[in-house]
Amino acid sequence: MNLSTQFRVNTPNVTHETIDGETVIVNLVSGNYYSLQGTGVLIWLLVERGFSVEAVIDWLKHRYPSKASEIEPCVLSLLGQLSEEDLIVPGAVPSSTPEAPSMNESVEGRFEPQALQKFTDMQELLLLDPIHEVDSAGWPHKKSDVTV
Amino acid sequence: MSTAPASTIEAARSGDHLPRSFFEDCQRAFEAAAELVGEFDQCFQLGGYGVRLRFAGTALLENMSRAFAPAASASAHVPDLTICLWDSESSGCQPPRPQWREHRSLRGEVEGYNTTRFYTVYEHESGGFTLFDRERNLANVWVPAANRVPYWIKGSPLRTVLYWWMGLHQRQLVHAAAVGNRSGGVLIAGKSGSGKSTTALACLTAGMQYAGDDYVIVDQEPTTCVYNLYNTAKVCANHLHAFPQLRDLIDNPGKLDTEKALIFLSDGAFASRIVSGFPLRSVLVPRVTGLRDTRLKKASPALALAALAPTTMFAHPRGGEQDFKRVGDLVRAIPCYLLECGTDLQQIPLTITALLESSCREPLEAQA
Repeated sequence: MNLSTQFRVNTPNVTHETIDGETVIVNLVSGNYYSLQGTGVLIWLLVERGFSVEAVIDWLKHRYPSKASEIEPCVLSLLGQLSEEDLIVPGAVPSSTPEAPSMNESVEGRFEPQALQKFTDMQELLLLDPIHEVDSAGWPHKKSDVTV
Repeated sequence: MSTAPASTIEAARSGDHLPRSFFEDCQRAFEAAAELVGEFDQCFQLGGYGVRLRFAGTALLENMSRAFAPAASASAHVPDLTICLWDSESSGCQPPRPQWREHRSLRGEVEGYNTTRFYTVYEHESGGFTLFDRERNLANVWVPAANRVPYWIKGSPLRTVLYWWMGLHQRQLVHAAAVGNRSGGVLIAGKSGSGKSTTALACLTAGMQYAGDDYVIVDQEPTTCVYNLYNTAKVCANHLHAFPQLRDLIDNPGKLDTEKALIFLSDGAFASRIVSGFPLRSVLVPRVTGLRDTRLKKASPALALAALAPTTMFAHPRGGEQDFKRVGDLVRAIPCYLLECGTDLQQIPLTITALLESSCREPLEAQA
């Protein structure tokens, strides 16, 4: 991943909400949804606001100087996961000047890298054959013996 | 050379031509069916709006309207939404032949027939389709034959149209249960199998008010409240032993080896506990623990959002970002809890009642 790369949230295929220091992200195409906590929320908010990879790293190094050596691998790892899941794609954010998240939007003050949590239960339902693989309650209720 | 009417040109430009043409043909077919077998109208107040159901003949009447019974109202002379319902077997009228056979999603959205104005969905279970013209507040629901309507649709009919309609009016049809008392109520979020219905029925049978066990409508203006939509409940046969009071109300007692028990609650002793709605105090995310006792724990709004939004938006054609945003607003507005449901079902309504009483004592701002 090039440090000068700028990502954007993959709208309109992806929607997201950040509430009380947690972010929930939904891929409307695949049906997968995701949870981010800790410093991952901060990284998400920075990307959403148009920070390049390098700018995200610099911003975090400035905020957490004692963790400088951990920050780059943490950012690259999370952005790699987000990109792999098609939640972000290379591209510029429409707004002109990136604005950092305010303190009250961000998570606790500690540097707290956490992995992207992925939930696939909706994707399983979306892939169900609506005639043959649903239980007696109808779609989207999966038969207990169906493996998707 | 003839000139196309301005409306036709506008429709072609906006990509509406195909769905508009199909909708008009279906509407003409419905009117022909109603002329042949008679029209039977029913009006309801649903989610605060007047909804008129126009049936061509009586074949679909019970299947598609019985679940709304407690909200029956004669006041919808000028309905906000009109839904035309018909079938070919009883009317002898056929819809226009669809051209889309291979171009529909698993949720039934038909490619090329869904625009800002027109909504077109193939219903996999019944082999019929649901059409909606947003501009005219008019829907057309067709099935090949009344006996193709599965039992679960009888329990929650017209959900697709009502989901669209409520969404367009800033109300959210959610996949959730809701129970309460005079102090207000709670929304019980969670996908199928999470304990929603068991929690709702444990509360109902303990004397609490009931607004639904599977689908309800949430409104956030001017205050956060929930509306009842259906007067039904669905229970797995292996859970019926916990609710012996409901046995006499089961609509499909001979089919419980293959179907969930479908219960019409307005038919019996529980009718007075079905309410049109109440103010919402909390969102609960149930978890079945296998332990005896029921406990409440504070939950993050994000947990409630993840429990409520995906199962709502992915269960409905054309569901998406707007649902997610509205559910996000909901979980920001009221406190969220994890409801660890114990095996002693009597504790569940007691726990929820205690929560509602404490909600009343605290100012709402402090709870959030």
